[in-house]
Amino acid sequence: MIIEKERAELENKREFISKKEPLVSRENRKTVGHPIVENPRMTCRNVNVYYGDKHAIHDVTLDIGRNEVIAMIGPSGCGKSTFLRCLNRMNDTIDFCRITGAISLDGKNIYDKDVDVVPLRAQVGMVFQKPNPFPKSIYDNVAYGPKIHGLVQNRVETDEIVETSLKKAGLWEEVKDRLNQPGTSLSGGQQQRLCIARTIAVGPEVILMDEPCSALDPIATARIEDLIDELKENFSIAIVTHSMQQASRVSQRTAYFHLGDLIEVGSTDQVFLNPLHQLTEDYVTGRFG
Amino acid sequence: MSETNIDIVKQGLEKRYGAEKRFRIYGVCAIAASLIFLAFLFISIGTNAYTAFQQTFIRLSVYFDPEILGDTTNKESLASANFPAVVKQSLLKMFPEVQSRSEKKQLTSLISSGASYYVRDMFIENPALVGETVQVWLPADDDVDMLIKGHVERGVEEGERRLNNNQLGWIEKLEKDGNIEKRFNKIFFTTGDSREPELAGIFGAVSGSFFTMIVTLLFSFPIGVAAAIYLEEFAKKNRWTDIIEVNINNLAAVPSIVFGLLGLAVFLNFFGMPRSAPLVGGLVMTLMTLPVIIIASRAALKSVPPSIREAALGVGASQMQMVFHHVLPLALPGMLTGAIIGMARALGETAPLLMIGMVAFIVDVPSGFTDPATALPVQIFLWADSPERGFLEKTSAAIMVLLTFLIAMNALAVILRKKFEKRW
Amino acid sequence: MKGKKIFAGLGVAAALTFGAITFNSNAIADSARDYISVVGSSTVYPFATVVAEQFGKTAGFKTPKIESTGTGGGMKLFCGGVGVQHPDIANASRRMKKSECEMCDKNGVKDILEVKIGYDGIVLGASKKSSAMNITRKELFLALAANVPEPGGAESVVPNPYKTWKDINPSLPANKIEVLGPPPTSGTRDAFVELVMEVGGSEFAWIKALEKADKDKFKSICHTIREDGAYIEAGENDNLIVQKLDANPSAFGIFGFSFLDQNGDKIQGTPVEGVVPTFEAIADGKYSVSRPLYFYVKKAHVDVIPGMKEYLKEFASEKAWGEDGYLSEKGLIPMPDDERKSFSKDVQTLKNLSCGDL
Ligand SMILES: Nc1ncnc2c1ncn2[C@@H]1O[C@H](COP(=O)(O)OP(=O)(O)OP(=O)(O)O)[C@@H](O)[C@H]1O
Ligand SMILES: [Mg+2]
Repeated sequence: MIIEKERAELENKREFISKKEPLVSRENRKTVGHPIVENPRMTCRNVNVYYGDKHAIHDVTLDIGRNEVIAMIGPSGCGKSTFLRCLNRMNDTIDFCRITGAISLDGKNIYDKDVDVVPLRAQVGMVFQKPNPFPKSIYDNVAYGPKIHGLVQNRVETDEIVETSLKKAGLWEEVKDRLNQPGTSLSGGQQQRLCIARTIAVGPEVILMDEPCSALDPIATARIEDLIDELKENFSIAIVTHSMQQASRVSQRTAYFHLGDLIEVGSTDQVFLNPLHQLTEDYVTGRFG
Repeated sequence: MSETNIDIVKQGLEKRYGAEKRFRIYGVCAIAASLIFLAFLFISIGTNAYTAFQQTFIRLSVYFDPEILGDTTNKESLASANFPAVVKQSLLKMFPEVQSRSEKKQLTSLISSGASYYVRDMFIENPALVGETVQVWLPADDDVDMLIKGHVERGVEEGERRLNNNQLGWIEKLEKDGNIEKRFNKIFFTTGDSREPELAGIFGAVSGSFFTMIVTLLFSFPIGVAAAIYLEEFAKKNRWTDIIEVNINNLAAVPSIVFGLLGLAVFLNFFGMPRSAPLVGGLVMTLMTLPVIIIASRAALKSVPPSIREAALGVGASQMQMVFHHVLPLALPGMLTGAIIGMARALGETAPLLMIGMVAFIVDVPSGFTDPATALPVQIFLWADSPERGFLEKTSAAIMVLLTFLIAMNALAVILRKKFEKRW
Repeated sequence: MKGKKIFAGLGVAAALTFGAITFNSNAIADSARDYISVVGSSTVYPFATVVAEQFGKTAGFKTPKIESTGTGGGMKLFCGGVGVQHPDIANASRRMKKSECEMCDKNGVKDILEVKIGYDGIVLGASKKSSAMNITRKELFLALAANVPEPGGAESVVPNPYKTWKDINPSLPANKIEVLGPPPTSGTRDAFVELVMEVGGSEFAWIKALEKADKDKFKSICHTIREDGAYIEAGENDNLIVQKLDANPSAFGIFGFSFLDQNGDKIQGTPVEGVVPTFEAIADGKYSVSRPLYFYVKKAHVDVIPGMKEYLKEFASEKAWGEDGYLSEKGLIPMPDDERKSFSKDVQTLKNLSCGDL
């Protein structure tokens, strides 16, 4: 219901904004808008990704700012997940996946030879589309990351980090009495929040979220969106979503991908209300995709 | 009137359900058939085997005659003391009418030639028995045993029996006096092989199999699992890993005798390990079970959902941590199942053991990895090949023991799987 | 984490065992073996094992280990060399071949003692339920050879045309020819071919002449057993043949005498040339299809392996291989008195076998 209302509001707003320039034509695949920000957390320059012979990402240049939520949208198969997975080198696990260009975290290229993926992934955490808690207890799920990274020395510290992480993920009240039960016994929404707690327990700088709410109902979705809003105080967040409402609710900037190209980047309001590119307009108005 | 879709669907329904019903019937038939075969196997072996768990004993009043035994005070002379004569004397005393030499021989052959060992052991335990008379149940000869158990007809002509009329008469007298009795055959479960069926036991072979399997488990499981983990999780997929994979699959299908030949060439001839030792048997079986374990373990690793791997990597686990903390525990039940199935196959194998000298007559129960030993299936093979009638039931009994072990191992596989799977 | 522990535990265990093993096996290779190792013929196996067991239980030494490898396989192991990893004694259901003796010599096994232990009869058995049939070796040859002399009398062979015993000799019953016997790998089969097929074939003068003129042709006629279903290979297991005969009264089976001895209530021995295979008939040489059994001793081991002398003494004692010895109870046919005496002396003096005598 809420969403219906928002949609109507959005449509209304769009009516009032007058278009200053003509839209960039569909044939033009150069990124329009503002991919570059001041004082970024992560920078991506001319990133190309290949799955074997398949060229999945074409020459993408994009920054992720500090304490911002950037949404990535686009039709299915356009390469959002692929791009996101490049940001913490998750694609390394795929043998035939090849990446060119430069992606830096705090000025350091993460694809440099001397970069170790293990600390990188502690700095750039990831939450997946399908909740995937470990088949261990709730407690162990959250404690696992800090333990392997040596962030905690004893039980007291572990207890503390588990509690604060679960609190930040908004799950503490629901699970504090059953921390020893398996993580897989939680509901889908709870599991996803557990996964978020697990990610933030390691204290990352950036959190990548790949359609974190696609398996959840509106109420669980709303909780996670609230959570994202709170988390951005401390973290930079990149979120892939198929829901434009979600993008507009949680994000400050939005990037629109199309068939492996980054078409348009801008402030969320601008991209949704006043897109610069014809393809973006087609997508956000529902004419495409 | 034209048919609507739902009508067409309904027309087809009967055929579809028919197909389903037929398939179920086929399934039930297949299972019933295999159950019948299994039951047949068990019943036919079981009916032959159960008599082997009993043994005919004869009760004798053994008089430890100091004259026959001579000096029993020191060990040396005790070893050469004539215990067989003590046993024979006791039997002859029961039938005072037997006088001629040949008759005496016929009479004393009713008792097992091994009976004197039991009397000797009894005496060594309690040397105070000298000059005393004790009632003892001693194993009867296998011919008597077969007769009492009804495996030999009493009716056939004298010349065709292994026991003559005199002997039958004595046995009947013993029966009448309650001096002959079938009792639980403890010998079968506690001794090694023997050429006398009434003295032959399965324990030597069981121990041999046990030591062999321990060696097999200790080598094949860690090596197999490590190889599987490396190939599945760490090795780059390229032409070499493909070649290795093809070869492993081939190895799993190689006839087991080939592993025996390999074991002979490598372990015996090259490394100079002892012949007939469970250690070498275990190593050969390791070669044989390794491919099975590797294949099963790789399948188990493959079946671990990728989301778990991503989750682990996503929080910054290293490849190694991901494998050992998350993937391995989930794959372990599958690996254990594979290992146990491989071990069960190894337990029933004789062909490779032939080449390394474990097909042998070995009386002493092995007590270590380098003692000469046989294995259960070898014992079955050797007994099946023995001319004495008494070994027929022993063979079946040994098969029962082997089947029991196989069932136990497979049950263990199921239990382990259940246990590990139930954890979450 | 549990997985890791299990894995690590097993790994450590494996490493330890391997360490222990390499250590152990070296120790074993260096030190002397304390039990006698015997290999060889499966025909001698039932007799050698009885002696071994008797010896192990009474002499105060460990029970010898006896492997049933077949005569040829046993010779190969026996002649492998001198040293504790090689067997001390080889059992044989035939005499050692010259080639085997030379192989021994080449590998340093120079001094060998040969001991004949007795005889084994090969029996053509049938179920007790059938009526006995007297047969000759010539008839057996005609019944079982793949190619037989042309029935018309020409000096050439034709594929075996005989279907029933009556086809061979009208006085025999009209039963289908059906003989269960051991496969070519078996010593019993070797002996059968030599004692029955070769002799039976030589009844034909022209085949006998071939033995000198064209040995290969002679062998191919006498050694090739028909494969059209009349001869059924029943595996190495003589017990199985006995059981099958019981179920099929019209069939015959070829096996060692000890199996007849143990199954006298079910199986009867077929008289060959009028002689019934009985203990006495084989012992005094009347029954023609019998073969001597031997064992060979590596003299270099006699003083190294504990108990060797005592084992030999046990084997060559009257209570073992004598007329009433325990081996005769197991079906071994004893040698005549003077032959026993002579071999018993050989055992005492450890008489040397020279390859030239073979
Ligand atoms: N592991 C892979 N191997 C080969 N091709 C892949 C692989 N993963 C993705 N691709 C290809 O790369 C392209 C981009 O895929 P990606 O998963 O990034 O799309 P997406 O934008 O996340 O789509 P969705 O919204 O459906 O999740 C697709 O054409 C896909 O087929
Ligand atoms: Mg995706």
